[in-house]
Amino acid sequence: MIKKHFWKALAVLILLYTFIAGLLVPLKPGIVEMDPRTVQSGRNISFKVKGYNTHYMNSDIRAWLKMDEDHVLAASPILIQNDRDLKLIFGIPPFLPTTDKTQNFTLIIDSPVDGVHLLPNAVFVSQDSVNLALASLQWPPERITDLHEKAGITFPFRNILAETIRNIYFHVPMWFAMILLFLGAVIYSGRFLWKKNMQDDQRAASMIRTGVLFGILGLLTGAVWAKNTWGAYWSGDIKQNMTAICLLIYLAYFVLRQAYEDPDHRARVSAVYALFAFFAMIPLLFVIPRLTDSLHPGNGGNPALGGEDLDNTMRLVFYPAVFGWFLMGLWIAQLNFRIERLRERRLEEE
Amino acid sequence: MSKRIFLPALFLIAAFLPGMAQGSDTSADFMRSMGKMYVVVTAIGIIFLGIVVFLIFLDRKLTKLEKQTKQND
Repeated sequence: MIKKHFWKALAVLILLYTFIAGLLVPLKPGIVEMDPRTVQSGRNISFKVKGYNTHYMNSDIRAWLKMDEDHVLAASPILIQNDRDLKLIFGIPPFLPTTDKTQNFTLIIDSPVDGVHLLPNAVFVSQDSVNLALASLQWPPERITDLHEKAGITFPFRNILAETIRNIYFHVPMWFAMILLFLGAVIYSGRFLWKKNMQDDQRAASMIRTGVLFGILGLLTGAVWAKNTWGAYWSGDIKQNMTAICLLIYLAYFVLRQAYEDPDHRARVSAVYALFAFFAMIPLLFVIPRLTDSLHPGNGGNPALGGEDLDNTMRLVFYPAVFGWFLMGLWIAQLNFRIERLRERRLEEE
Repeated sequence: MSKRIFLPALFLIAAFLPGMAQGSDTSADFMRSMGKMYVVVTAIGIIFLGIVVFLIFLDRKLTKLEKQTKQND
C-alpha cells in the first residue's frame, strides 16, 4: 500500500520543498535606483542611490563609478541615510579618458555585510570636448580591490527581474513537465501501435490532456511574468508564438479523437498523430526560437539556463521542481486514465 | 458536458487573473511593489486555480460514471 503510493508522496514533498525554498531564500542585495542618470563632466555631483535587500547602516561602504578595468572613480564622501538609501558624491573630472562625447559608467558598491553589488549603465556622463592628454592626468590608475562576498544562501539579484526570478521554479517546470508528459504519450502511443492494447491508447490520451493543462498554465504564468518584465502580456516573441502553435497542434489531437466512432480506428489514428505532434514540437520549441531573436533566455544567442539566470543555488530548487511537477503530472494523468478506463468498461458492459 | 465547461473555464481564468494586474496605474504599482513579488504570487495562483479547475473537470466525469453505475444496478 505505502510502496504503491510512494511516488505521489514524493511528488508532494518535493513540491513542498521547492515552494518553501523557492519563496523564502532571499535575493542578493542589488541597486534599484540611481538619480540623476545623465550628468555633465567637471562637477561634484551628489547621487541618490536606492538599494534592495541592503543593510547600509553601520557598514563600511565603498562605492565606485567604473568605466573599464583601469578607469575607476571612487565616491567620497558617502552619506548613509538608512539601510536602503545612500547619498554618493563623485567629483567627476572635466575630461573623460575616451574619445566619445558620452560615456556610460557602472556603479559598484561594496560592503562587508552585503558583499559587492552593482548597477550596469548607472550613469551617462557627457563631456563638452575631448582631451585625452588631460584626461590621463585627471584619471590616475586606480583599481578596485578587497571586494566582499555576501555570506549565506541567496538567489541572484537581476535588475528588471528582481523577485520574479523565482518564477523559474514555477513557470519553467510547467514546460519541462509538459514535454516529459508528451514524451510519455509518445512511448505509450508507440507501444499501442506495436501491441494494440487499448489501455496504452488511453494512457497516451491522459498524458497529453495533462500536458496540455501544464502548457496552458505555462502560457498564462508566462504572460503575467512578461507583462511585468517585458512590458506586454504577449509581445509576439518567437517562442511565445511557437508554443501557442504547439499547443494548438496538441488540442487538435482531441478534436481528432472526437471525430472517430470506432475505438480501434480512433486509437490507431490518434497514436500516429501523437507521434507526429511530438516530432513537430521539437523544431517549434527547440530549433526555430534559436534561429532568430527572442526575449527568452537560451534563444537568439542568449545563454540558456546559465550564468546569472540560473546559478548553482537556483539549480538546487529548479531541478527538484521539474521532477516534482513531472511526478504531479503523472499523478493527474493516472487519475484521468483510471476514470477513462472505468468509462470504457461501462460502455463494454452495456 | 464537462469538456464543454473545462475549456471556457480556463479561458475565464486567462481573462480575469491578468486583468487584476491591468488597468489603472495603482494596480501596476502594486504588481511592481516589493521587488515584483506579486508577479510570483499571481503565477502560483494561476497554477493552483488551473489544477483546481482540472480536478473539478475530473470530478464531474467521475460523478457521471457513478450515476450510470447506480442506474444499471
